[in-house]
Amino acid sequence: MTDWLPSLVSGAKHLGLNYGFVLNPFERTAWLSGIGVTLELVALALAASLLAGVGMAVLLTSNRPWLQHPVRVLIELTRNTPVLVQLYCAFFVVNMLLNRVLDGAQHNPLTAFAWVIIVLSIHYGAFHAEALRAGIESVPAGMRESAASLGFSRRQLLWHVELPLAIRFALPSLINNLINLVKTTALGSAIAVGEVTYTSLMIWTQHDNVLELMLFIFLVYGLLTLLVARLGRRLEHRLRMPGYGH
Amino acid sequence: MKTQNHIYLFMLAILASSVAQADATLDKIRSRGVVAAGVIVDSPPFGFIDPKSGQAGGFNIDLARSIAQRLGARLELVTVTPPNRVQFLQQGKVDLLLANMQLNAERSAILGYVPTAYGEAGGGLIARKGSGIKRWEDVKGKVICVSQGSNYAKPLLEQYGANVRGLTGMPESLLALKSGSCAASVHDSAPLHLLVSENPEWKEYEMPVSKDLIPLPSVIWVRKGEHDTEKALDQIAQDWYRSGWLLQETRKFRIPVTPELLKWQARYPVAIH
Repeated sequence: MTDWLPSLVSGAKHLGLNYGFVLNPFERTAWLSGIGVTLELVALALAASLLAGVGMAVLLTSNRPWLQHPVRVLIELTRNTPVLVQLYCAFFVVNMLLNRVLDGAQHNPLTAFAWVIIVLSIHYGAFHAEALRAGIESVPAGMRESAASLGFSRRQLLWHVELPLAIRFALPSLINNLINLVKTTALGSAIAVGEVTYTSLMIWTQHDNVLELMLFIFLVYGLLTLLVARLGRRLEHRLRMPGYGH
Repeated sequence: MKTQNHIYLFMLAILASSVAQADATLDKIRSRGVVAAGVIVDSPPFGFIDPKSGQAGGFNIDLARSIAQRLGARLELVTVTPPNRVQFLQQGKVDLLLANMQLNAERSAILGYVPTAYGEAGGGLIARKGSGIKRWEDVKGKVICVSQGSNYAKPLLEQYGANVRGLTGMPESLLALKSGSCAASVHDSAPLHLLVSENPEWKEYEMPVSKDLIPLPSVIWVRKGEHDTEKALDQIAQDWYRSGWLLQETRKFRIPVTPELLKWQARYPVAIH
């Protein structure tokens, strides 16, 4: 595969673009693995944030104040502070305290990668929860009463009536949140998680070819968010119920 | 890039045809009466914010002051960071960089520099006492934190096989070292020496490797092709040696006086009045 690569690089050089790093096996591998790490981050944080969101939404609408209030506080706290600050706080402060408790960093299983997943899942989980709450609360009272009169328990009502409707109602906001989440994975670069922004940054600080790598990064994130948006759109069509919503 | 520079020069030649004896940068400095220097302020003793006055101070900032004074211009200090400093220079936000940037082939291909170096900097390694690191070879497979944009990332990775992590700056890298996320941090050795020798917060830490990693000359960087600026600044840099002021400054900020620096000093002996 390396036959066509040098000619491509020298072609780009004629256009004034320095893509020389792809010829260095160290940097090429690092950069490609950066794309891999971004994909892993997106996949894991996406799934975990949705789980966290559903969990928080269920607790929020549970009618039990001792469950509702702590979740409300958590949501307000994570929604109203910058993700970068939360990430620094988690990685530098909470992680250090954890190391002390666990008696040394070597016993701490949480890597910078894990912290990004945790912080993003809680942060975007809070946004998902609010979207889902709106969905749950928009279920008509009549429908809830009919389900109750059919003998549905509280849990059955939630899983079989409220959440299916809430997800349909909340889907556009949920997809919005997920697109934001894809873009926010770039913050991992601040704590040296080797995702694509980080690996590009490490390369351009060596070669000062910022423009060249920026073009690449835009392409990677653009394609990823486009994919999420398209999948979301398709899901909306699949789940569409005639007569409910749009 | 080259054609862009030509257009730039051409436009300036028209605009300033009456006084066009110097290049674009020097003309701009003279006509505005201001010289904008890009400096780093998170790396004592080279550049730092004085906690008492809130003003920037340090070795690089003193050099910038001297340049402004010699050029008869007001000094405008612009804070830059390793990942953005080259863009600041290329986009004309600063006229020169005094930002801990060492001379290497890749940089000199896209930027101009002042041939007379003002110092020599190499990498030092800071680790918790008893880390087991004694030589550069010992970093193999260990997590080593550096600043994003550090010169040292490449040799650590490619020559010594370290697992290099680049954090946004030196403070973050040192914080990660303290929080146990890395086995050691590698930065310019001068600020690290200052840290372990004088800061009680770092008494648990040491610099176990005596030899500096890739020591290179620190130079002033300007935009590519600004030869008159290079020449004017080179004269100033040589005078720093001739007056003995550079050595005084180096000692004042407790930056190690390396054999290489003494060699440069010997080239421009201090004039006896």
